[in-house]
Amino acid sequence: MARLTDLPPAQAKRYAELECPSFATTPWVNGPPLAERRVAIVSSAGLVVRGEKPFRGRDADYRVIPSETRPDQLMFSHISINLDRSGFQEDWNVVFPLDRLRELAAEGVIGSVAATHYSFMGATDPVQMEGYARDVASRLKGDGVDAVLLSPV
Amino acid sequence: MSALGHYLEEEGIPTVAISLIRAQTEKTKPPRALWVPFELGRPLGPPSDPVFQKRVILAALRLLEREHGPVIIEDFPEDDPRERPDLSWRAPLAKHDLDDGSATRLAAALEDESAWIEAAYRRAAVDRGRTIVGLSGLSVGEAGRYMAAWLRGQTPESPSAEMSAVLTLRFAVDDLKAAYIEVALSGSARPSSKQLGDWFWNDTAAGTATFALRSMYLTSEDERLKAIAGLFLVPGVRATQRG
Repeated sequence: MARLTDLPPAQAKRYAELECPSFATTPWVNGPPLAERRVAIVSSAGLVVRGEKPFRGRDADYRVIPSETRPDQLMFSHISINLDRSGFQEDWNVVFPLDRLRELAAEGVIGSVAATHYSFMGATDPVQMEGYARDVASRLKGDGVDAVLLSPV
Repeated sequence: MSALGHYLEEEGIPTVAISLIRAQTEKTKPPRALWVPFELGRPLGPPSDPVFQKRVILAALRLLEREHGPVIIEDFPEDDPRERPDLSWRAPLAKHDLDDGSATRLAAALEDESAWIEAAYRRAAVDRGRTIVGLSGLSVGEAGRYMAAWLRGQTPESPSAEMSAVLTLRFAVDDLKAAYIEVALSGSARPSSKQLGDWFWNDTAAGTATFALRSMYLTSEDERLKAIAGLFLVPGVRATQRG
């Protein structure tokens, strides 16, 4: 379905031609085996814990999602209406697979689940997010995270 | 998403991105990405299918164990089985029989329908233990009435000092639609997103009212209202179908 050939032509053209940042460097960091890694989710779905400020427009900052957040506390404030929300409504793991990470940790496939996860608004120009992303990196390091699953919508 | 991967990796944190639009990922070149052939909004694929979801997440996380890169972009080989319709699913409401010719009649129909939905939504929220309604700060019935006021050509005051009336309209539409979908998901059937969307946009007064709001305010002199009407009420694919 997210094959461009399956989308309406105008939407497919917009996505295919969307200006994306290009980088002069190609960073690459190795780490220990998966069974020893501490994993965090960073989502671009505009997720927000109920009671926190929803994302507006193309906010470049981020929201914090503690690991003890329950499914009934997590809301979806992405600006785009061209993406499905019903999957997230039925099962939050479709966008925010925290239950799957917990299971993988219990099975010993990954080392542990981070104490905190993060969400951005994916429609924002990534260049505007850079400072916030580096701030999140610092917080992730403070939590001992050495693997991040980036989950889009 | 891929750009975030670039920034985090530069800071020393290994990342793997799930990619929904391969063309964008190919341009941004993150360290590692798994492209999935799923609908936008469903990066892990089918809801309520933990076994499938685990295959996706593991395919992504295993890329972290590759010793050589960047750039790694791999394709997940399976389609989302939940794209198929569930023929046992039944719409919670009979198809409404209004055309969108009269905004006043449509506003009244929207108020009646959203009052019924609010009651069903409250039961569904208790049964399901969860809701995503709540962006506008309005109850479901209030969201319906808020939209109805705009349909009547009024500009109702925002209930929140921090939110403009126009933004409240956008979030009211989001909330009302979310409530309808949660009611539609409350049984044991597992409808596809297309079944849910076809029902909401084609068969409900709320869907018709949202189309009508789009048409009404698409030529507004208020640039924010015009932008909300054109871009943030009706999905592009539905607007194209309706013409």
